[in-house]
Amino acid sequence: MTEEVKWEKTISDVNNEILVNLENPHKMFYVALATAVSVLLFAVGMVAYHTAVGPGMWQGFRPPVYWLVDITNFVFWVGIGHAGTLISAILFLFRAKWRNAVNRSAEAMTIFAVICALVFPAIHMGRMYLGAYWAMPFPNTNNLWVNFRSPLFWDVCAISTYFTVSLLFWYIGLVPDLASVRDRVSGIKKIVYGILSFGWRGTARQWHHYETGYGALAALATPLVLSVHSIVSWDFAMSLQPGWHTTIFPPYFVAGAILSGCAMVYTLLVPVRWMFQLEKFILDEHLEACIKLTLLTSTICFYAYSIEFFVAWYSGNVYEWAIFAKRATGPYAFYFWVMTFCNCIFPLIWWSKKMRLNKAVCFVVCVLINVGMWFERYNIILSSLVEDFLPGSWGHSEPGLWEIGLTVGSFGLFFTFFLLFVKFFPIVSLSEIKLIMPKPMSGHGKGGH
Amino acid sequence: MSQSRGILAIFKHLDSVCHAVEKVKARADFKDHEVYTPTSYHEIEHACAYSPSPVRWFTFVGAMLGTVTGFALPLLCDWDWPIVVGGKSPGIYSLPAYVVIGFEFTILFGAIATVLGILVMCRIPNPKVTILDKRLTDDMFGIWIPGAVPDGAQAKLLKELGAIEIKLTH
Repeated sequence: MTEEVKWEKTISDVNNEILVNLENPHKMFYVALATAVSVLLFAVGMVAYHTAVGPGMWQGFRPPVYWLVDITNFVFWVGIGHAGTLISAILFLFRAKWRNAVNRSAEAMTIFAVICALVFPAIHMGRMYLGAYWAMPFPNTNNLWVNFRSPLFWDVCAISTYFTVSLLFWYIGLVPDLASVRDRVSGIKKIVYGILSFGWRGTARQWHHYETGYGALAALATPLVLSVHSIVSWDFAMSLQPGWHTTIFPPYFVAGAILSGCAMVYTLLVPVRWMFQLEKFILDEHLEACIKLTLLTSTICFYAYSIEFFVAWYSGNVYEWAIFAKRATGPYAFYFWVMTFCNCIFPLIWWSKKMRLNKAVCFVVCVLINVGMWFERYNIILSSLVEDFLPGSWGHSEPGLWEIGLTVGSFGLFFTFFLLFVKFFPIVSLSEIKLIMPKPMSGHGKGGH
Repeated sequence: MSQSRGILAIFKHLDSVCHAVEKVKARADFKDHEVYTPTSYHEIEHACAYSPSPVRWFTFVGAMLGTVTGFALPLLCDWDWPIVVGGKSPGIYSLPAYVVIGFEFTILFGAIATVLGILVMCRIPNPKVTILDKRLTDDMFGIWIPGAVPDGAQAKLLKELGAIEIKLTH
């Protein structure tokens, strides 16, 4: 991002226009909310039935694939969540200005995506209400502790830390903005936003402590965001399964996570920007910067897919090569090619600036990337899981209606949360966007430094 | 509340408020003044020249506590009931696997302590907050002086320094 961004608005317009738009959203907002809530209710019904009957009703719930669709959805949603922390923490440390326009919605997206992710291990456990007891480090009835050497337990540590830290980061960022809302509204709303804003006054001293703390949180969240998907990848890479047991998994998964997350940020921002008339605040330059980051991570994924194939062949390990050859040409080749085209080939059109600025094209490609990223996880997990070390249990696996239904249902959960968020909270960080807008100078002095 | 009795000078421009802060911050008749800003402009931070915030010590102590807890949890459980998993001996022989847990706890405790630090140092949550002026969280800057009066010397000086409005607060 260069300094030449053209702002038509001043900081005096920020609170007035962003918050007023929240009160009068476009009609389409209510259509979207109603759709999301219906999908969510449908999914709640499915989960209730599923909890009563048990996971055995899943078509794919049999050896050796069992958790195939659960873990695919888990990895998919955790991956989506990564862009939020990347944008809020890493780009904060790099002082990338475009982040200030989009970080609030990206962080919210992170939290809701992690909630969606957490639903799937809980579903997989069958009885969700006992999930916390099984996952957390409590001794079981034989007084045995959890296996601390298992990547699955590391994952519990990583995801719960990630959720907590993202939530704290997001909420601390919201406090000054909620104080801005409090100072505009009246009646019961004033009381609610007053409580939510903790009595923030906005003194220079408060901002001083706040900025130090925000910087420290960003510094803590930066290694966290890289570690979480590395640990998720170890769920696979720590096993001895051909196709999974590779050292490239952590960086490859992190790049894939950021790719899917940035694509989802774009997919959400374009309609939200239109529904709440935020075009003067979330500028085209900011959206283009998001697309550039998506293109970068797409090329990293392209490289990872290629090198993974090369190493499988170059290693001379026949089992490793057999899995890879089968991924590209076997019965599941369709998923492989969906993944390759959506994640590596289609994004290449963004080398053209004209295409990066064409919102319809970008929106379609971003949706395709997320389809591709879902199939990437499905392809990796399925191809290695379906043929394990016991040839007797080999077979063919396709997702059944329940698996597809719960996957679609998780989108209902995600969009319901997100749409409620954009209605009741400032979608654009009011205090942070003021920082990248022209400073209110008297004209006697020079403009900023 | 009587504690908020004083005058509030409202400024429209960032450079005038910074200039005013630099002029008045050392004066005895501006003791305990507070500067209000809608967002964290670095110019204001420079003008106020506060000493480094103690929030970073909260972060450090929290993170270190997390490291110790993260390593202690698996090691103490191994000590409680040593068990060989996958041919790997428990205790310090499994330390590489516990680095992950130590790392995650470091981040978790560090982040929680940082947030506590922000809350403690900013003196929030504060249910008794007095909102001096609604524009201060929107687009205006302010300097508030406790105990001063609208026709006093402080008010006159602030007017000269570019305040667009002086109001009495109680």
